[in-house]
Amino acid sequence: MSKTFSNRYIFIYSAVLVVVAALILTVVSVSLKPLQTKNQEAEQKQMILKTIGVEATRNNADMLFDQYISVGAYPSVRPDEATEEGVHGSTPLQFYRYDGGIIIPMRGTGLWGPIWGYLALDYNSNVVGAVFDHKGETPGLGGEIASDKFAKRFIGKKMDTQAIHLAKNADHSNPYEVDAISGGTMTSNGVTAMLEKAFENYSNLNIQNTPSTPNTPTEEAREEATE
Amino acid sequence: MKNFDLIKLPFSKENPILVQVLGVCSCLAVTAQLKPAVVMSLSVIVVVMLANLIVSLLRNTIPPRIRIIVQLVVVSTLVVLVDQVLKAYVYDVSKQLSVFVGLIITNCIVMGRLEAFAMVQKPLPSLLDGLGNGIGYSVILITLGFVRELFGSGTLWGYPVMEKLGLYEIGYENNGLMIMPPMALILVGLIIWWHRSRNKDLCEK
Repeated sequence: MSKTFSNRYIFIYSAVLVVVAALILTVVSVSLKPLQTKNQEAEQKQMILKTIGVEATRNNADMLFDQYISVGAYPSVRPDEATEEGVHGSTPLQFYRYDGGIIIPMRGTGLWGPIWGYLALDYNSNVVGAVFDHKGETPGLGGEIASDKFAKRFIGKKMDTQAIHLAKNADHSNPYEVDAISGGTMTSNGVTAMLEKAFENYSNLNIQNTPSTPNTPTEEAREEATE
Repeated sequence: MKNFDLIKLPFSKENPILVQVLGVCSCLAVTAQLKPAVVMSLSVIVVVMLANLIVSLLRNTIPPRIRIIVQLVVVSTLVVLVDQVLKAYVYDVSKQLSVFVGLIITNCIVMGRLEAFAMVQKPLPSLLDGLGNGIGYSVILITLGFVRELFGSGTLWGYPVMEKLGLYEIGYENNGLMIMPPMALILVGLIIWWHRSRNKDLCEK
């Protein structure tokens, strides 16, 4: 350790080290990307299915998704926002249909990173199921939004005239209020903001009271989307 | 020092968690269930071993003034690699471990071994030292994961042990405290107690 190193050596050494590390990471990241993307897509489908009470595994998610869900795409009301948003790369106004109503995607930011979720509504804007997930919220605190316990609090709430928000000691009879996560205030605020945004998008869709015949609205939606 | 000792020592008087009390953060966080504990253990073993090996190979070329930075680059590269592999092949586990995989970078065991051992030892002993310390860490992690999942959730590796034994029917209930991080701390404390009662020379005067 008594050997001395010149500044020149130190600079070159660190530069080479960093470039080598970057090269290795790039190669690995690019080569594993397809597998990771596949996992993420399957997970997204699992989440969507879960909002309507269908438990899917990573393997049968594709099949069950095609069986229960159809993708509805309304033209984006604000196309400028469509591209910069989205954890999984979908546009904000994309939504999904099941035979009892629609499922709206939500995206937002928590304390440490992105949070997202899906809300299944019937045609009267009652929540029939919800699911949330996050990239890196603190486990046990903000990370609790991903738990079933938290998601279940949303069932029976409403998204008709205003968005659902999270509150401390929420009034359970209030259809727009859900108990926040204790110890996860920042994440809870993120969820509230996300719900508001989702509500705004959902109102723009203007399909709250579309008749509950499963396939026709989807057809219309597709036609409208292609126009 | 014989190479064999390097693997054996961490079990006894040089266990990174029990004696040096390093790596406790992840030890509390990922042991609510057995599976993440095992995956975390494997990840840490791989990272400590490889980091020790690489740093040991480079040790004579590393300028002392930037050695910590070099160690960090090596460790974080390895950790990102592990994270990417987990995401591709065991996605669910990688989600559960989420931030903790990243936290391996700051796991004191890794930096501690690099600085104390790999910087001054040959590659093979360093590799074994990494393995030994990784195993020492894993033994505790897996023990905790086993106890906490069994008594906290009544399952092992997701298999409903308590239900199959029919214990719920005779009034058995899961201990909710087991799932909370404080219980891990208490359990580690108990293990340290037991460990010190067997190794009296470790006790502070």
